[in-house]
Amino acid sequence: MTNDYLKKIKDAVVKGRHNEIEDLVREAVKCGINVDTIINEALIAAMDVVGHMFGQGQIYVPEMLVSAMTMKKGLEVIKPLLKGKETKPKGTILMGTVKGDLHDIGKNLVIMMLEGAGFSVIDLGVDLDVEKVVEEVERIKPDVLGLSALLTTTMPEMKKVIDALEAKGLRDTVKVMVGGAPVDAKFAEKIGADGYGKDAAEAVQLAKKFTERV
Amino acid sequence: MRGIKYSKDYEFDLDVTPNFERLRKAVQHEEPDRVPLCEVLVEYPIQSQFLGCEVSDSKLELQVEFWAKAGYDFIPITVGMMNPGKVTQESAISKVIRNVMLKHSAEVDDEKSWSLEYRSFIKDRADFESFPWDAAAQLDFSKFVEIKDVLPEGMKVIAVSGKIFTMTWMLMGFNNFAMSLIIEEKLVADIFQKVAEIQFGALEKILEMPHVGAVWVVDDLAFGTGPMISPQALRDHVFPWYREMANRCHKKGLFFFMHSDGNLMPLMDDLIDLGVDALHPIDPTCMDILKVKEMYGNRICLIGNVPNELLRSGKPAQVEATVKHLIQKLAPGGGYCVGSGNSVPAWAKFENYMALREAALKYGRYPIDF
Repeated sequence: MTNDYLKKIKDAVVKGRHNEIEDLVREAVKCGINVDTIINEALIAAMDVVGHMFGQGQIYVPEMLVSAMTMKKGLEVIKPLLKGKETKPKGTILMGTVKGDLHDIGKNLVIMMLEGAGFSVIDLGVDLDVEKVVEEVERIKPDVLGLSALLTTTMPEMKKVIDALEAKGLRDTVKVMVGGAPVDAKFAEKIGADGYGKDAAEAVQLAKKFTERV
Repeated sequence: MRGIKYSKDYEFDLDVTPNFERLRKAVQHEEPDRVPLCEVLVEYPIQSQFLGCEVSDSKLELQVEFWAKAGYDFIPITVGMMNPGKVTQESAISKVIRNVMLKHSAEVDDEKSWSLEYRSFIKDRADFESFPWDAAAQLDFSKFVEIKDVLPEGMKVIAVSGKIFTMTWMLMGFNNFAMSLIIEEKLVADIFQKVAEIQFGALEKILEMPHVGAVWVVDDLAFGTGPMISPQALRDHVFPWYREMANRCHKKGLFFFMHSDGNLMPLMDDLIDLGVDALHPIDPTCMDILKVKEMYGNRICLIGNVPNELLRSGKPAQVEATVKHLIQKLAPGGGYCVGSGNSVPAWAKFENYMALREAALKYGRYPIDF
């Protein structure tokens, strides 16, 4: 019976049934299913499926966003029940678009997917000064820093951030992942980033890899 | 010719007199005298360097001089709510937002308050109803009238329009648009319709102008990984508008070109079916133009594919080699025009732009034989 409830919740998230999810989660909780199980084995697990489907081209951004919204709605039902025993986020991620670049569609998609996967994400915004990024890394001490650029002219800012982190003695404290239309794995390696994600699904996989607790 | 700067020592004996028939032949898969040069946007600093004097938005005669002397058979002129490239102060929609919506606001001079790059204006049905659509529909055709007196014989105007998809999502904010497409589809459909009606209003006027040879729709439909929304959603909400535009163009003997960045492979059959005559730029960051030519080359003309990153950071010899290769592989039999992988922005090295141009003129003479 537990599996039936978890399957229904998972399906609802995958199919974006945002009008049904709250009742489904309430029912599951009423039946005594552990809230951590609902979160990890249904809600977050569903977002893994969504990410995979998006990466395979089976669904597109609108479907992915509605799934993420559905997941969040389900989570909101559970949150009051977690008082005092909040599930620890998988990790903390800082996200931002580099200096001179205003594009944020990709960044915002990644943020939604990371949150759906159980990460705590802080959005630094767009057109970020190198100094601001370094300041926030020093203050927040994230596990991962994600940088986005859409213009070839702003890509070099990514290296400036990495170099500045190095200069401040912070480079080894944070994993850096990069993405955006003109960016590729070769560029990421060249500038000393820890990883490159071609889309939101890959960014989530990278974040998971970087935050795996041994 | 005033101020022409060449990067090489030799003069070309090729005729660069504009002739729209050259472009027509290439698009119709015939071989003209040479492979046409084709861009939807060359930013003013590049035009200025070419002519050796300042070219700006208000200097139409100089713009015509650039496009003619650089070797193009047309001049692209935007009509519609948004210019290609960034949403600037000059875009009609920005003027509407500033002069109507934010007229009495203290923020009116702050770019972050009026630019659709930073902010969206239609969250819901109420915002849609109250948006100043009538003001947005007041489009400026003055350049189309003014240009008649300065256009050289043989040269035509290509009217740059479109942005039905882009304008809709920018007005709504991308995430809101994407989710609304599923949760509140009627709202999104209504916004698409309003935007399309304004753009159609422009089209009706343009189609009656004998000096206009084509409509070039600029509307980014895809990311590097594929379409921004499902192909079915595009078929439901966007392609019918462009099909109708293409039909009306063809009835008047005009071509219908399309520009979209990103990976369009999942949409190629749709684009050809709706009536696109030529497609630009076959984004070199994510599309293999040789594969596109092999699969679709006999059904659609291809334009562009010289990478913008090469124009920014490459050397002239590399640009020359790229153009030569593209001509060799794509131009025999017509169906290809030389151009950039997006547009020619101000940050492209001028010497690389000139290398692109000169390689097209040097290697593009028919029959292609090297």
